[in-house]
Amino acid sequence: MYATLALSWDMMFRSGQPGLSVAGFFGLGGYAAALSFLYWGVNPLVSIALGCLFSLLVAFILGLVILRIRGLYFSIATMSLSEIFRVIVMNWHRFTGGPSGKALPSAVFNGDSAKIFWLFLVLTLLTVIVSEIFERSRVHFALTSIRNNEIVAKSSGIDVFKYLVVVFALTSALQGMIGGAYAHSYAFISPEGSFNFNFVLLPVTMALFGGIHSTLGPIVGAVILGVVGEYLKLQLPYGHLLVYGVIIVIVILFLPKGIVGTAKERLKRKWATI
Amino acid sequence: MKLKYSTRVLTLILSMLMVAGCATTPAKPTEAPTATPTEAAPIKVGLIAALGDVSGINGQNGALLAEKEINAAGGVLGRPLKVIVVDDEMTPEKGAAAVDKLATVDNVDAFVINSFSGVHMAQIPALKKYGKVTIVTGAASHLCEEAIGEDADWYFHLHSWDYMQGEGQKAAWQAFAEKYPDIMFKSVFMAYEEGAFGTASYQFSQKLFEDIATLSGESFKSAAMGGGDYSAVLEHAKAENPDCFTWVGYAADALPILEQAKSINFAPKFFVGAPPGWPPDFGESPLAEGVIAYEVWADALTEVSDISKSFYDGYVEMFGSGPDNYLAPLVYSAIHILVEGMERAGTIETEALIAALEQTEYKAPTMEVITFSPSKIISHQAPLTPMLTQYQGGKLEVIYPWDRATSELIYPFPAWEGR
Amino acid sequence: MELPGVLKQRRNQYALACLFLVVLLILWKPSVLIYGVQRAGLYAAIAIPMALVLGVVGILNIAHGDFMMIGAYLAYWGNVLYGVDPLVAMIPVFVVMFVVGAVTYKTTIKKVLDAPEFSQLLLTFGLAMILEQLANLLWTSQPRKLHVDYASTSATIGPYSFGVFEFANAAIALLILITLVLFLSRTRTGQAALAVGQNPRGARLVGIDVERSYLLLFSLSIAIVSAIGGLFLVRHSIFPLVGGSYTMRSFALIAMAGIGNLPGILYCSLALGVAESLIISFKGYGGWADIVFFAFILLVILIRSYRERLT
Repeated sequence: MYATLALSWDMMFRSGQPGLSVAGFFGLGGYAAALSFLYWGVNPLVSIALGCLFSLLVAFILGLVILRIRGLYFSIATMSLSEIFRVIVMNWHRFTGGPSGKALPSAVFNGDSAKIFWLFLVLTLLTVIVSEIFERSRVHFALTSIRNNEIVAKSSGIDVFKYLVVVFALTSALQGMIGGAYAHSYAFISPEGSFNFNFVLLPVTMALFGGIHSTLGPIVGAVILGVVGEYLKLQLPYGHLLVYGVIIVIVILFLPKGIVGTAKERLKRKWATI
Repeated sequence: MKLKYSTRVLTLILSMLMVAGCATTPAKPTEAPTATPTEAAPIKVGLIAALGDVSGINGQNGALLAEKEINAAGGVLGRPLKVIVVDDEMTPEKGAAAVDKLATVDNVDAFVINSFSGVHMAQIPALKKYGKVTIVTGAASHLCEEAIGEDADWYFHLHSWDYMQGEGQKAAWQAFAEKYPDIMFKSVFMAYEEGAFGTASYQFSQKLFEDIATLSGESFKSAAMGGGDYSAVLEHAKAENPDCFTWVGYAADALPILEQAKSINFAPKFFVGAPPGWPPDFGESPLAEGVIAYEVWADALTEVSDISKSFYDGYVEMFGSGPDNYLAPLVYSAIHILVEGMERAGTIETEALIAALEQTEYKAPTMEVITFSPSKIISHQAPLTPMLTQYQGGKLEVIYPWDRATSELIYPFPAWEGR
Repeated sequence: MELPGVLKQRRNQYALACLFLVVLLILWKPSVLIYGVQRAGLYAAIAIPMALVLGVVGILNIAHGDFMMIGAYLAYWGNVLYGVDPLVAMIPVFVVMFVVGAVTYKTTIKKVLDAPEFSQLLLTFGLAMILEQLANLLWTSQPRKLHVDYASTSATIGPYSFGVFEFANAAIALLILITLVLFLSRTRTGQAALAVGQNPRGARLVGIDVERSYLLLFSLSIAIVSAIGGLFLVRHSIFPLVGGSYTMRSFALIAMAGIGNLPGILYCSLALGVAESLIISFKGYGGWADIVFFAFILLVILIRSYRERLT
């Protein structure tokens, strides 16, 4: 799950725009999926797609407005959006259940964890495929050129704004999709659970940890950090998060390009010496 | 070349994940109870708690104390008891994963769950899948009860549901009004934190207090959630001039709310707080004098009950200081109830154990006699009547119920001048 | 930092509009103004040192609020163990945390100065996690609060009583701002630091020790925010996660004011503090205060970015 979020964040970041709205669209998709299931009896899997579409739509409209902003200001703007979503959901008692959230009558596949695992795997694969398509298509070159030098990109005829909106909407849709799957796998939604800032920090950490601007990096980062986190928890019931923090700092200090970036560089150097 | 390489690694990782997925597919609950357990094999109870939070630490301590006592007394069914604790990290997915881990890796015989409502919600699908005997000492949200449903006979809820807490409080005040008809309040203002906990409390109180007092209220952002400015709520409360002011928030709000109340000179006749736990140094503040609290546990109980005293002394001996909140005695009770049930059933087999647990009549350190009866939806709910307690001279004294009372009510709430 | 002269006329207009609003508020809801200013003081006091580091060193310090938390705990233990008043404790905390800041800079921050922005962010996120978890291990998640008599000092005007202690927040915010502005504009070290912030390469060329400026400003920022922990402790409960929300708020304020604009933070805090107080002063609308906070920020950023586009 975090792998998907990490990857979708990185896809946006490839354009050089550090968004912090992962939690916002994650939560939005989750609510859309859960509420459409609850109120209109939509099939859970279809409702996850609905959550995805809803996020896409919202992100597209908002993207038209906020994608004029750049850099750090973009981070703040997207973070503000997430918070605004959360407050609206929290105060709209009648429809969203307010701060307590809503319980669904049953989890998807009746809570069969193996099937849920497969569901997440399929969704992850889907994200990987989208990411790879991006990587190989014109979008990739457009985004890279925006990142490197927006003015040059513009003058060479790339419609910067259009690409940004498309990428923003698509990545948000992926986040919404995972949010929907998350809501269904635990059969409930609440503002504190769904719009949790953890859903921003952890994916970003994983992407940076693994290595940014690639499909592989965020996935590797998510897998390694996930496994390390669980292992540490078994070893040290209390201080594991402390060690986790230390690991992050050490990696940044000694492997500035992330695990994948560093590994690639090492390999390249090896090849060069041979 | 570069792309190819990365794709290859990616496929490798994904295929590894798939293999892992197959591996976790439970190969059906390992045929029959893994042979006949040898004499030495311990009976395992899985405890899930938030070890990053003081509530979880207290719960864990309570469980460890119970484990020590039980093993010192010869264990369960001639086997030692082992409590395996897993941290839920206060996140739903970790809480749910903890259930899976305890059920499949550790193969525990029963669960004790001390998670918060939001985390517990996510655990429910997994718990239903395993259907092992589960005693829950946390999770007050009525949504959890809805999610559990009426069929789950293996589910024993020791903590009260949010709507019951209001009922208990109302019953307490009604008993109080009978004894002291002239000092009862007619109007209540409730300041509640804006999250799930506060909002639910307010909603249920609204219905309950209808016939005994007028109730109005407003939400505030708890300091625990990054808020901590109570000026507006207190101003509004003061403007309404209620007999009783109640706040529902977290421990972090306790003293700041008093300080702000003092600085705007708001001193209602009853000043009541209903957080899940109080700060350890709260009583030391002169502002705390006269504050009324709904509590399940108070150290003062050791003065009136031997059971409470032996629990308290055992706790202090093992951990150096007394329990910080009621979750220590609650989880302690849960372990004892479970073990008594196993002894009564003579087996750890689920159905027999459920039947035995239904016979429970356990005298808890909270001075409650715990039995299980149906609540709104589920069939096994323990009563948990809140006590009225009051900070007097730096100490939390029990005011009601009468049989546990250690002191008389100070009324009205003393004026702010001079403290 | 902008020159005051340039915007003089527009500034006068703003000032007039503000004055009008203030008068209106005094007549209508005086409490809004009082609590708004108190709120704003705390916001600004915490945000200003963060802006200093972001503006000059170029590091967005996610651990900022957590340093305040550490400072508050130091002040707490100073009081419990040695009976030091938390406000007095601000001075030793300042000194100790200056050293801690310097060590943090030397061991970690210095090494990522040339790294991409987000690596720096992640590093400070790691630091934040370490600080929070350390506090949780050492002092548990149990909230702690000191009782000091002056915390609930109140003043009464007519029938109306209100707390006055928190005006100290505003006073300290102002003090920090003035000291910093004077430091940056009047002292040689400060001017050098400012030059470094504007153009590190150029500063190096004219012989300024860039490294030393960074070290100084980072340590100073940590020292100031930790010292504020002492002030914070007087009116707030502290617990390991208490700083996190202030980091976010400070970041938002800085974005609103514009990076490098220290006085702007004060105005923005005031505007936000009063606006929030206004919202919560309507009974039953307290839950929407956060929307005002973020919508306001979003609006300001948007307007600014569109205006830049036009010019």
